[in-house]
Amino acid sequence: MQRVDFSETNGYIRRTTRRKEHVQRSSRRKFLKRTALGTLVLTAAKALPAPLLTDVFPEDVPQDLLYFSRHEYRLIRALASRMVGEAASGTREIDVALRADRYLSAADPEAQDQFHTLLTVFNSPLFAFLFDFRFSSFLDMSSTDQDSYIEDWMASGLEFRRTGFQALKRTCLSMYYTDARSFAEIGYHGMFLPTERP
Amino acid sequence: MIIEGRDITTLLHETADVCIIGSGCGGAACARTLAQAGRKVIVLEEGGSYGAADFDGTEETAYQRLYQQRGAQATSDLAVTVLQGRCVGGSSTINWGTTLRTPEFVLDAWARAFGVRGMSMKEMEPYFERIERYLNVQAEPEDRHSPNNRILLDGCRALGHRVRANGRNVRGCVQAGACGLGCPFDAKLSANITYIPDAVAHGAMVYADCRAETIAVHGPRKRVTGNVLDRQTRRPRLEFTIDAPVIIVAASAIQSPVLLLKSGLANASGQVGKNLTFHLTTAVMGIFDRVIYGAGGIPQSVMCDEFMNRNGEAGGFWIESVPIYPALAALALPGFGPHHREAMRGFKNIGASIVLVKESDSSGSVAVNDNGRAVISYTSGPLDRLTLRQALKEAARIHFAAGAREVKTLHTRAAEIGSPDDIDRVLDAARWGPNDLALYSAHPLGTCRMGEDPLRSVVDSHCQSHDVRGLFVIDGSVTPTCLGVNPQLTILAVAEKSAEWVAENFRKLSS
Repeated sequence: MQRVDFSETNGYIRRTTRRKEHVQRSSRRKFLKRTALGTLVLTAAKALPAPLLTDVFPEDVPQDLLYFSRHEYRLIRALASRMVGEAASGTREIDVALRADRYLSAADPEAQDQFHTLLTVFNSPLFAFLFDFRFSSFLDMSSTDQDSYIEDWMASGLEFRRTGFQALKRTCLSMYYTDARSFAEIGYHGMFLPTERP
Repeated sequence: MIIEGRDITTLLHETADVCIIGSGCGGAACARTLAQAGRKVIVLEEGGSYGAADFDGTEETAYQRLYQQRGAQATSDLAVTVLQGRCVGGSSTINWGTTLRTPEFVLDAWARAFGVRGMSMKEMEPYFERIERYLNVQAEPEDRHSPNNRILLDGCRALGHRVRANGRNVRGCVQAGACGLGCPFDAKLSANITYIPDAVAHGAMVYADCRAETIAVHGPRKRVTGNVLDRQTRRPRLEFTIDAPVIIVAASAIQSPVLLLKSGLANASGQVGKNLTFHLTTAVMGIFDRVIYGAGGIPQSVMCDEFMNRNGEAGGFWIESVPIYPALAALALPGFGPHHREAMRGFKNIGASIVLVKESDSSGSVAVNDNGRAVISYTSGPLDRLTLRQALKEAARIHFAAGAREVKTLHTRAAEIGSPDDIDRVLDAARWGPNDLALYSAHPLGTCRMGEDPLRSVVDSHCQSHDVRGLFVIDGSVTPTCLGVNPQLTILAVAEKSAEWVAENFRKLSS
């Protein structure tokens, strides 16, 4: 197929060349079901024995989780602390993982399945090794390594990892910054301009 | 009368002259016109019915109650967040009030490229004027622009760009800044407080929390089947059926094609769900030494259309202001962790403008997955990606001209620009692939496009299906090309015009 190509000159766009089309279409479904890499990742994630993907259940996990497993809850809690950043003061009480649990419990079944799979892949030591030559799961990494690992996902050349990063970032940050207890730190006081607040 | 899902306790079976699926701009305008014409109208709305008392000006409440997928709707690769209303009034309940006429060159292109009849500027102007009067559309005076809008206004003026106050559909606006979260003061004249109450006053019945699942056609008779939803869990609770000779699908450019595809209707052309356009949108965030507080004041009162047709037929872009709410800002700011948190601490000093691309070579579609839900796909074209880069450069210059000390884009890996001299260098080095830059759309359009050629379009110039008499699609789906302006007024005008035709031809349509 032929495609028109464009370039920018002096702030204006010019048609410059024609070359074979190389359309990059992708999606979570394609990642999961169609690409060779995605198929491999998904198959391997499901085939691995659970102990390789999980660790022992901690004690400080709510008993009434609606969507996350206890292990996933712990993963999101650890991830959220890296995503949001360490609290300066007074905001530690926002349980992002529990809020995410409630939020995702009402999501579409398909979105729920995909998020479970994402968490499995994200925390798997096998995939951490395959993607980044790391030798432990996210939960077992030091804080510095966790940050570095998240950054690897964020800036990855593999589109599905960037997509995964977006899903995790959106989940953590939206759960945190829709909680009114986060507002004071950023100086958000609700509606109206400060000078016109009734 | 508006009936909420929780008040429906038995299987529902109703008959009507016209069943309208969706209560946003398209559905609401049709409901009003047809009810005023004496037709028995039933409106089905998947979301809930809310009023000013339900709107508390918080993102948590608003996304949960008023937005499709609670604000998380996105393309299948999460590269573009697609913001839409899911409540009585549809997106008009949660938009920022900008009300603009369809540009004449766009209407001309509809006629030229798709043979659309009866929608020249001369023919549409009476509708625009009537709707503008009804919705009290006016530009804000100079002293009511918020500090965030002043960035765009002052920056453009300093650079000599064309900039103007855009029309807004408000009356008695108190400048709270909550338009996008549902107006708690009933000042924004959205469909839920204008068209819908007028339709109800003329006898229309509105069923909230009722999701249409399929349409069946048996000659002139048609039946809509669906589920009454539990408002909290969104799970089906009861079934309903509505029989009517005329069905108007007005569920948006995402949900309307889904309904038609699930029903196996109106798709002889193969165009249902194709041709999705977004007005691909991203933003620049300027960091200012002065307080901007983008969460307050009128969210969107100024626009810059200097670059609308910068690339001629190849497209262009325009720039508007955007409200800055905490979660919206958190997702837009690049990166994560301490750096991100530090940026959030500067929340009050952030100003933001969005750039909206009038696409020319991107391709998008809506399909249906195994669960009957929408799968949105979108691939930006090379020209549109360049236009996007061009747009961000211009918006960054505007922010610097308005006094920003730093400008950030929404790139996943931070693109931070310290001075106007750095704009080209930083943005030319940035990455532009999927999920390299946060992209949004509040204007999905075009998935059941209008035209006179049944092989290239889904509906005719009256928005009636080429395949099924009495089946109409009347919402943002029908626009045959990218609009280049916020679509509210276009959808309302097309809806009023088409609904008048339905009213005039009802006897023929129902026999």
